[in-house]
Amino acid sequence: MIAAPTNSPDAARLVTPTMLVLWLVLATVPLWIARIGLYPYLGIEILIWSLYALAFNLVLGTAGLPSFGHGAYFGIGAYAFGLCQFDLVANLWICLAAASVIAGLAGAFVALFISHRRGIYYAFMTIAFGQIFWTLAIKSHRITGGEDGLLKIARLPANFGFVSFDLTDNVAFYYFVLAMFAIGVAGLWRLVNSPYGRIVAAIRQSETRAAHLGYNVWLYKASVFTLSAAISGFAGGLFAMAQLAAFPDVMSLHQSGYVVMMTLVGGGLVSFWGPVIGVFVFLTARDVIGALTNAWMLYFGLLFIAIVLFRPEGIAGAISAMLQQHSLSALRARGNSAMRLLLGGGR
Amino acid sequence: MFDLLPHLLNGLTLGLLFALIALGFMLIVGLMEQINLAHGSLFALGAYVAMQMMGSRPPLPAEMAKAWLALPLGWRYAATLVIAPIVVSFVGMLIEFCMRRTYGKDPLYGLLLTFGAAMVIEELIRLVWGTRDYVLQVPQAVSGGFLFGELIWSTYRFYAAGIAAAIIGLVWLLIEKTSFGATVKAGAHDSEIVRALGINLSRLRLLVFVFGTILAALAGIIVAPIWGIRPHMGVDAVIPAFLVIVLGGVGSFWGAVAAGLLVGLCVGLSGAYASEWSLLSMYILLVAVVTFRARGLWGKKSVLEA
Repeated sequence: MIAAPTNSPDAARLVTPTMLVLWLVLATVPLWIARIGLYPYLGIEILIWSLYALAFNLVLGTAGLPSFGHGAYFGIGAYAFGLCQFDLVANLWICLAAASVIAGLAGAFVALFISHRRGIYYAFMTIAFGQIFWTLAIKSHRITGGEDGLLKIARLPANFGFVSFDLTDNVAFYYFVLAMFAIGVAGLWRLVNSPYGRIVAAIRQSETRAAHLGYNVWLYKASVFTLSAAISGFAGGLFAMAQLAAFPDVMSLHQSGYVVMMTLVGGGLVSFWGPVIGVFVFLTARDVIGALTNAWMLYFGLLFIAIVLFRPEGIAGAISAMLQQHSLSALRARGNSAMRLLLGGGR
Repeated sequence: MFDLLPHLLNGLTLGLLFALIALGFMLIVGLMEQINLAHGSLFALGAYVAMQMMGSRPPLPAEMAKAWLALPLGWRYAATLVIAPIVVSFVGMLIEFCMRRTYGKDPLYGLLLTFGAAMVIEELIRLVWGTRDYVLQVPQAVSGGFLFGELIWSTYRFYAAGIAAAIIGLVWLLIEKTSFGATVKAGAHDSEIVRALGINLSRLRLLVFVFGTILAALAGIIVAPIWGIRPHMGVDAVIPAFLVIVLGGVGSFWGAVAAGLLVGLCVGLSGAYASEWSLLSMYILLVAVVTFRARGLWGKKSVLEA
């Protein structure tokens, strides 16, 4: 596996310059997105899926565990949000907490069965559990509404006690999602760069070595999976609000495959920001190419094949390679001119 | 007990079909240590090509089409069983050419490459044939049904199960009893020594992949009259195939066959009590086994679990 632990000074920060710039750029999106022919809802989708992909990458990129049924936890979060709203209490914070707790519990349950497995067996166990949850969602008509989905989920107002925001408008909801995204990104960045995150990354490199150093590998694998499921569930809760409904299709194998694709196309294996880049490219391509042709998955599939073959470290990897090459050639130019000065030039 | 007999038989025939579907997948996993997620798409492609050949308008020049249509249905079916997998094998060759770049790297790359290939093939199928369902014509002799013990049985199911058993046996003979099989197994075991012995390893891998593709396409043609032909059939096939291999254990021929039968029986019997949930049973079976056995039922050590 490609491993590139970065030891930049940013690792110790809560908020890095990259995050600040990204948040500022994202905050201006509703001002111009309609002008370039797109719509604010796309921005909401990109933010929610980015949070989901970042949570997924905790398992795939940081821990190196192939989880191919992650859509289940995203979907469970969406259903939990809706059901909490209908049957318990219609409070935004409680419902979002319910989404992540229920998804986290589902993740913890699955982790019990899979955390002592590796490689292809781990991968297929996650697929099997994903399919089990998906089938349950489709067949339990009375709870989830079956294939029709759980409809009429409301965008609850964000109540801070002294002030309450109405989120029914897409732009208002966009800013709410952006705030949640910002908190999620900062939290995940801290997590990945914490001692805990370092140990999880060490397990990715060698389970045996980490175990010999005295770390409880099983516990780390199980906990990172649970955490990832909980954050995916949180994103799922937001997605239920965005769609005003919860559907089983996000739990299907196809959609679980898409999040793997997005993460890898973006470069989740080498960069923290990889999943975000991947989601942005995937969803924008879906809308832009999808407007031109029905077979956009064909072109995206070809792009995906090309990336796996020629740039397996993804777009983030390609960008950093390009930047390095750029600085390298700049260095070389500088070195050459210095040489020429020393040798008296011209010859 | 007699009430269960139809379900047992049904499960058994289904199990043989699952084993057949998993066969090509197993060869590529076992002999190349690569997970071919495009297996299902090649399976679907086999069914589509066969359907096109058996249909009323084969893709041939007018003269040849006329001569072809003049043949009796049985002959055309037999020829299709041979020709369609060969047509599909060219697609397999293309995938193997791309796959060469991933040999020696993390097996994740092969898996992702074939996932992309599967997506592309499925979209191409949608482009060429649309999203509607098709039916594959089969000769009179194997269609219809017969009466046995006051129940009507589908002739085709038994024909398909018989063919599946025959193909499984032939593949086993080829791998275990011929020098080709010995070379291929040696190549999987220690590729460096095999190369040192002067065997062209890249040609060997191409041959194995093409062989796996042919088996996938053949399985598609055999299963198509039962499941129907639609773009989604590839995914419906690759998941059980993958499951059968993981359950049986990577690298074990009879493990895969036994796992196929086990899955078929499980689906068949649970279908008798709760038909809505019968597909769930195979996943629960897998979870129950792999939770306790690290490499499925009879698996061997491989790079796929690193």
